[in-house]
Amino acid sequence: MTDAIVAEGLSKTFNGTVKAVDGVSFSVREGEIYGFLGPNGAGKTTTLSLLTAVLGPTAGRATVDGLDVFHNPHDLKQRIGLVFQESTADQDLTGRENLELAAALFAVPLRDTPKRVGYLLDRLALADSADRLVKTYSGGMRRRLELAVGIVHSPRVLFLDEPTLGLDPQGRAGFWKIIEDLRKEHGMTVFLTTHYLDEADGMCDRIAIIDHGRIVASGTPSELKDRIGGDVVTVRPLGDASALVPALKALPGVTAVTPQDGTLRVKCPSGDVLIPKIVGAATGLGIALAGISLRRPSLDEVFLEYTGREYREDEGPTATDRAVFMTRFQNARQGRR
Amino acid sequence: MNVRRWAALTRRELLKISRNPAAIVTSLMLPILYLVLFGQGFNFGSSLNSLPPAARPAALHTLFLGAPDYFSYFSAGMVGFVGVTATLFVGANVIFDKLFGSLKRTAASPATATDIFGARLVEGSIQPVALAFLVLGLAILLGDLGLSGLHVTVGITVLGAFEVVVAILLLSLMFASLFLALGFTIEQPQTYFALVNAINLPVLLTSAALYPWGAMPAWLQGVASYNPVTLAVEVLRINFFGDAFYPYAAWVYLLGLIAWAAAMFTIATLLTNRALAPKV
Repeated sequence: MTDAIVAEGLSKTFNGTVKAVDGVSFSVREGEIYGFLGPNGAGKTTTLSLLTAVLGPTAGRATVDGLDVFHNPHDLKQRIGLVFQESTADQDLTGRENLELAAALFAVPLRDTPKRVGYLLDRLALADSADRLVKTYSGGMRRRLELAVGIVHSPRVLFLDEPTLGLDPQGRAGFWKIIEDLRKEHGMTVFLTTHYLDEADGMCDRIAIIDHGRIVASGTPSELKDRIGGDVVTVRPLGDASALVPALKALPGVTAVTPQDGTLRVKCPSGDVLIPKIVGAATGLGIALAGISLRRPSLDEVFLEYTGREYREDEGPTATDRAVFMTRFQNARQGRR
Repeated sequence: MNVRRWAALTRRELLKISRNPAAIVTSLMLPILYLVLFGQGFNFGSSLNSLPPAARPAALHTLFLGAPDYFSYFSAGMVGFVGVTATLFVGANVIFDKLFGSLKRTAASPATATDIFGARLVEGSIQPVALAFLVLGLAILLGDLGLSGLHVTVGITVLGAFEVVVAILLLSLMFASLFLALGFTIEQPQTYFALVNAINLPVLLTSAALYPWGAMPAWLQGVASYNPVTLAVEVLRINFFGDAFYPYAAWVYLLGLIAWAAAMFTIATLLTNRALAPKV
């Protein structure tokens, strides 16, 4: 399998001082869904803008579908699809007119245009509102139209920049179902940026975690979670807990103990077995505990592991959102309502 | 330029205009108000009534360059006025398309800067021509209604009508290029409109569009004779009244306009290409 996207030492500095992307290198295989995961300002959109020739680089090189991005921007634009995080459709045109315009811009053969436009309107559940002005569309309809515009010319590589931002869990699940189906039907390579951990986990074949413009970890979601080395038990002692660290390290099965923001993160293969032993060790040392919690390996843990801080909740969905999204996404995949 | 892309982008512009009749009405309001209020009230001709009847034609000619009255002189000037003001919206539309994201979408497509600029330029140049003919029609109609109106004193030939259309087209092409260049370069509507006002007023007030030629001081006549609005308006006056401030044929004025339009088009193309190129 060949690489659809290759980035080597990509860097982008704004105003000579702000390093938005700092020496990023990675490759995406043909037909793969590859996710760039990180908080706002991490450099996700800048990387995507570099790969789609929207921005020029400060350093580095990149190829997409075998084309040098920075030497063949015009040819590149014909081969890629790009879905922006904001709505870019003309509000004063109908959905159909927006698609017809995109078809002309991307040189879809004139005689194929009505059929292609009709297919996409059907496929993305926009047929009933095709002749309505876009300004009357809901958020979900606008997102689907953006996707239709992005793939009107059947691109070989599709770039999605935070494509589900602002959608409710049901809308997000439906959107990803379409992406997955299109990938299967057309063998498209998909590069996406997201700050939704659950999306990256559920949708991507491989993920790169980006923080402060650098890739801090990459691999399949399960590889990344495996690298955590099992469960993480977070112990919250009351008062000074320095004496507890060596005691916890001595417990059987514990692979690491890391102090973090007044807590101790204890890594072990089976957290549920370890919790009573941790409580026993603390009691034996006369250290009271304010709380103790167990977390199975997740991308939250991966993020914490590689960046040294919690994934910022205000930039991601709530726990309830995640649960609802995952349930609906799994149901949609299995064809249930 | 790719013809299909250009045609699709032009269609987009026309669809957007057709769905926003308020913009068309608004762009018509200003010239109508000038014709119905300013042109009617600003009666320079009355100052000649105190002269002996034999001296009036010469004085009239000095003042209005062959036009029979101020309103007729001014009506031709209003066409130049419309040729500038009706092109303002092309640049403003670019800024709003940037703000609403649709320019980002077009720029991410294989459409070249020439396609994007060209479609807007064509639309921005043709609309003022249509508007100019509406203004001329209204100016003639006002005369038929018993008010001051446009009185054409020489027979208009086919070549003359062609010269008039070309003059308006070149003028609007020049200003559409200028305002498009500003639109592609500037990010904020407030900055755009401030700059447009800073350009518009000096251009119009240093032209012979509104002032009677004979009443202008020599220095202002000197400035006005190079002003593109004056050049376009004089092509109309030559064909409507048979005279202009220089004893040249209309094509000489058209050459001047071509030079202005070519210069502005070249500058605007360079600026647009730079604005739409990947940001390094």
